[in-house]
Amino acid sequence: MVSAHVAGLVALVSLLAADPVVPVVDFAKEVAPILERHCVRCHQPGNAKGKVSLDRPTHLLAGGYVVPGKPDESGLLDLVAPSEDGEPPRMPKEGKSLTAVEVATLRRWVAAGAVWPAGVVVRERAKGDRAWWSLQPLAKAVPPDPPGLPPAWAANPIDRFLFAKLREKGLTPNGPADPRALVRRVTLDLTGLPPTPEAVAAFVADPTDEAYARLVEKLLASPAYGEHWGRHWLDVVRFGESIGYERNVILDNAWPFRDYVIKGFNDDKPFDRLVREHLAGDKVGPGDPAVEVGVAFLVVGPYDDVGNQDAAQAAVIRANALDDMVRATSEAFLGVTVGCARCHDHKFDPIAQQDYHRLQATFAGVTHGERAIESPAAQKAAAEQQKALLARKQPLVAERAALRQRPAPDADPRLAAVLAELHEIDRALDRLPPAKWWVGRTSPAPGPFHLFVGGDPQKKGDPVSLASPDFTAGAQKGYRLADGAPEADRRLALADWIVAPDNPLTPRVLANRVWAWHFGTGLVDTPSDFGAMGTKPTHPELLDWLAAQLRAGGWRLKPVHRLIALSRAYRQSSEFRPAAAGVDGDARLLWRFPPRRLSGEEVRDAMLAAAGRLDRRAGGPGFRLYRYAQDNVATYHPLDAPGPETYRRAVYHQNARAARVDVLTDFDCPDPAGATPRRASTTTPLQSLTLFNHQFTLDVADALAARAKADAGADPADQLTRAYHLVYGRAPTAAERAAADVVVAAHGLRAVARALLNSNEFLYVD
Amino acid sequence: MTRRDLLAHLPGSLAGVGLLTLLADESRAAEKAAGDWKPGVGATHHPAKAKRVLQIFCPGAASHIDLWDHKPELEKRDGQPMPGEQNLVSFQGKNGNLMRSPWAFAPAGTCGKRLSTLLPKVAAFADDIAFLHGMTSKTNTHGPGCVLMNTGHALEGFPAAGSWASHALGSANDSLPAYVVLPDFRGEPPNGKANWSNGFLPAKHQGVVLGADQPIRNLTPPKAVGPAEDAATLDLLGRLNARHAESRPGETDLAARVASYQLAAKMQLSAPEVADLGRETKANHARYGTDDPNALKAAYARNCLLARRLLERGVRYVNLYCASRASGVDGLLNWDAHKTLKADYDRHAPIFDQPTAALLADLKQSGLLSDTLVIWTTEFGRMPTHQAGTTGRDHNPDGFTCWMMGAGVKGGTSHGATDEFGRRAVESPTTVWDFYATVLHLLGYDHEKLTWYHNGLSRRLTDVHGRVVRPVLS
Repeated sequence: MVSAHVAGLVALVSLLAADPVVPVVDFAKEVAPILERHCVRCHQPGNAKGKVSLDRPTHLLAGGYVVPGKPDESGLLDLVAPSEDGEPPRMPKEGKSLTAVEVATLRRWVAAGAVWPAGVVVRERAKGDRAWWSLQPLAKAVPPDPPGLPPAWAANPIDRFLFAKLREKGLTPNGPADPRALVRRVTLDLTGLPPTPEAVAAFVADPTDEAYARLVEKLLASPAYGEHWGRHWLDVVRFGESIGYERNVILDNAWPFRDYVIKGFNDDKPFDRLVREHLAGDKVGPGDPAVEVGVAFLVVGPYDDVGNQDAAQAAVIRANALDDMVRATSEAFLGVTVGCARCHDHKFDPIAQQDYHRLQATFAGVTHGERAIESPAAQKAAAEQQKALLARKQPLVAERAALRQRPAPDADPRLAAVLAELHEIDRALDRLPPAKWWVGRTSPAPGPFHLFVGGDPQKKGDPVSLASPDFTAGAQKGYRLADGAPEADRRLALADWIVAPDNPLTPRVLANRVWAWHFGTGLVDTPSDFGAMGTKPTHPELLDWLAAQLRAGGWRLKPVHRLIALSRAYRQSSEFRPAAAGVDGDARLLWRFPPRRLSGEEVRDAMLAAAGRLDRRAGGPGFRLYRYAQDNVATYHPLDAPGPETYRRAVYHQNARAARVDVLTDFDCPDPAGATPRRASTTTPLQSLTLFNHQFTLDVADALAARAKADAGADPADQLTRAYHLVYGRAPTAAERAAADVVVAAHGLRAVARALLNSNEFLYVD
Repeated sequence: MTRRDLLAHLPGSLAGVGLLTLLADESRAAEKAAGDWKPGVGATHHPAKAKRVLQIFCPGAASHIDLWDHKPELEKRDGQPMPGEQNLVSFQGKNGNLMRSPWAFAPAGTCGKRLSTLLPKVAAFADDIAFLHGMTSKTNTHGPGCVLMNTGHALEGFPAAGSWASHALGSANDSLPAYVVLPDFRGEPPNGKANWSNGFLPAKHQGVVLGADQPIRNLTPPKAVGPAEDAATLDLLGRLNARHAESRPGETDLAARVASYQLAAKMQLSAPEVADLGRETKANHARYGTDDPNALKAAYARNCLLARRLLERGVRYVNLYCASRASGVDGLLNWDAHKTLKADYDRHAPIFDQPTAALLADLKQSGLLSDTLVIWTTEFGRMPTHQAGTTGRDHNPDGFTCWMMGAGVKGGTSHGATDEFGRRAVESPTTVWDFYATVLHLLGYDHEKLTWYHNGLSRRLTDVHGRVVRPVLS
């Protein structure tokens, strides 16, 4: 049928083409691109809106949309051109209208006989191309030896790459940062906590290279390192402890994943192992909860759990749940926005809709939910422990009630002892592992799988195989599993492909994330998008060199931290030079160390640390800065006066979605509705109101004043000095002392402490 | 008479300091307009009709066929099976036969548009309203539906329309937030704060929650800090920051933070002033219904009054909610009448009608409506059938009504239509994206050019869709 039409057309057109007044139109070059751009998304087999497909000429001719040689009788031209009274064209319904030139081209084409060469099929095209830089194999980059390289910058390859680029632009780096700035910078960077006054004093007294190297080692070995860098990773994997959407019910058993991430960073777990555990922990470590919990990665995103009796809507909801897994995986590890290829081929990158659906098929057996993953023996032991604790608790509760009945119970030492013991038992109960963990559930989901045309689960398109995505095929060998391969094997195959030695994206993306968290901006400043809509690297050779180091070093991060933190570029001052800023305003080339504001977590943790009130208990169930209320939906009311039980590090906050928690939210801690590859750093009046007026600030200011007094003794001058050291790591200047003394005299040290905790010197890192 | 002249003749509350700020800022913005468009300074892509937006949102899926969309055929065929969809299974399950609206529809305004007698006072504005009867949604679930209706995306994590407006227009009053949300006294709408999230836009564009019964959080220091101590601390902070900035010339962030404390201080003064409903006349309170014995109505009425005061003082986008998320019983706290439509809407409609009408009347009378766009939205509609075994209606994302009024809107018009029962949009179907393309158009923006790069795409309020609904423009 089709071929007959085409044959007829070709015959007709060859006749018309002989007529010299009819212009010749090149279908492939001129007409097909118009159809590709404007029409076929909604008019193709499987998604033939109005029962019209424009992949071939059949429907155009049969429906009278095109009458060869007669543009005035061809309905197509009426549909795509604006009407005479100025109404917009009726087609395309979505997206931009055709330009006047495009309409004229179609008109010429119809007039010329509407030739559609035999066998030509118009398809929506992926715009991107596999020659894109990030899809090429890592280049073997050699650290350069630029002229004028200062001797101090020659030792560390990072410095040589950076200096070469600075020189190219006629820039020079700053001199070394002063020791006090450097110790604060590196301590906050590696641990998320400020240095103690003693640590500052020690480094200022001995600011040698050796002492600095020892300091870096000490910080990398500190458990605070994993808490801080694990928090970075939790942003990337959109870790949240409520399910989101309408019901947004809290999750009390997702925290083991948070602890697993923190421990992974502290142990310097090789990243290739982490990827395998995130995607297939149940397959690589069955029976080992410490490994299996990694697979919670797939289900710590938001999902819609409102039941829907409408089958079509239920299918969309399920597709959305899988979409979250596809996007999280492709963005976190590969830095590509595969999610954009859900409904159609990617508009800018060489990612086909087929690639998206291969990933979707990979995860098709995974659903959100909880599961017991401890060994039966461990479960039994936990249950027994719980039983024993409850048995201890019961008589104490009764005794507490009885003691409270007596006169003046608060003075009774026995009551105090009972309360203390109850508190200890409750803590122990809290720390028992949950019987079931939020790690997801699996089912075989054998397929067969199909594309969803236009993203619509009701419109099945071409079959989808259980194979690797194709977009790295220029650099990397792919895989293809047999149809019906077990679902855990599919996930492991994907993980193996992500960390395969020839995958060009994974090491680049990871190296760039590490760089971005150290310097504030990545070499690529869109850390989860290495595609055409992202930015290109400022230092492509350095990025490839770092990526190669990472892989050669067994995918461990600590050696990379060491390299970066010991570089001269990292240790230079943040001094602002107008001339250099005129060339490179954002210091992307690192002519200075870019100063930054503390993150929301750092603000809170650093306040508590300065006041000596930071509760360093690690792990276990999180604390809450909101009151949780639930009937059939959940509500999170921010606390007006959070008590000392909330004074743990912010990474242990039970990170519910759509819960506003004052200092954290105002200082740009993201709502984990989606991944956050890069934190915002905004300045708003609401921030100022919160930090200045929240009861939390006042409580910390009181605690800071009390600590300064306790540490320094009776002399108010010593107290002020101590407060300055605790917050800034330095003594006040004479002018500062004079200004503060007036305030202390009138309102006490608390008023000064509140100002210090709100000040830029505290909130920014040089 | 220009607006400035008009305002000069108005008595009482309108002559506030905030309004003068607003006028000054608008003329400043006008100077900056034209040429290269930059967000946040009041400049637009093309001349704007509207300078601010009032969005009234009735969550729970307020029924189009019981409020706005008259269906004579539904009345005639009450109790009969719905042709072609006898075995319809929707959100909560099986549906029964067609069910007529329990309320009569009567001609309203000089245009004679038939509207439900359930909302007589709002119906009186028929000549000012452009109804969009062919609205469609992508989801039949409240949470994603509300988020879609507010952000253009059913998934969470995208900026609300108010955040986009804040980003595009910037503030017209330095001492108040550009985007204010007034949740209902009964609680937040489905999916809560995701409805006024700034998404990936900077935090300063977030919707700031305020209410007549709920002051801005942390606006004032704890009671333990007296005014003298507070002032001394703020003064010391200023000195600390000045000294710190002195040794760091060129760091604009530091200056911005100093300015943010000054703005916060201004907000401390202006927010209580705007929220002080005691400054309104007794007659105003009575017209809005703040003294109504129905506590829910009185609370919504207070928010309506507050909404007017915010708009007067240059807040760009006010998001006013009437009803909340569901809680236990369907239809109790919002418009989600699954089981007992008549009883539910007899409860909700009186809360909504009088206060909303008083607010619309004030906007109209003061002249603010000439450059204020009012939009009324809900997340989707309801089925023309009753749910099996009940006298309520299930969710219907395939056809529903929203409306617009005010700046640049052709009043007394109806655009699009559902079929004879109200089941599906059949004439000029209108998506959420079309709706917001139109809102942005009235604000002076091309919805395809108002973008923000995030995770691989230049994101828009209208996703990758949307066409301006020109027939409703004046």
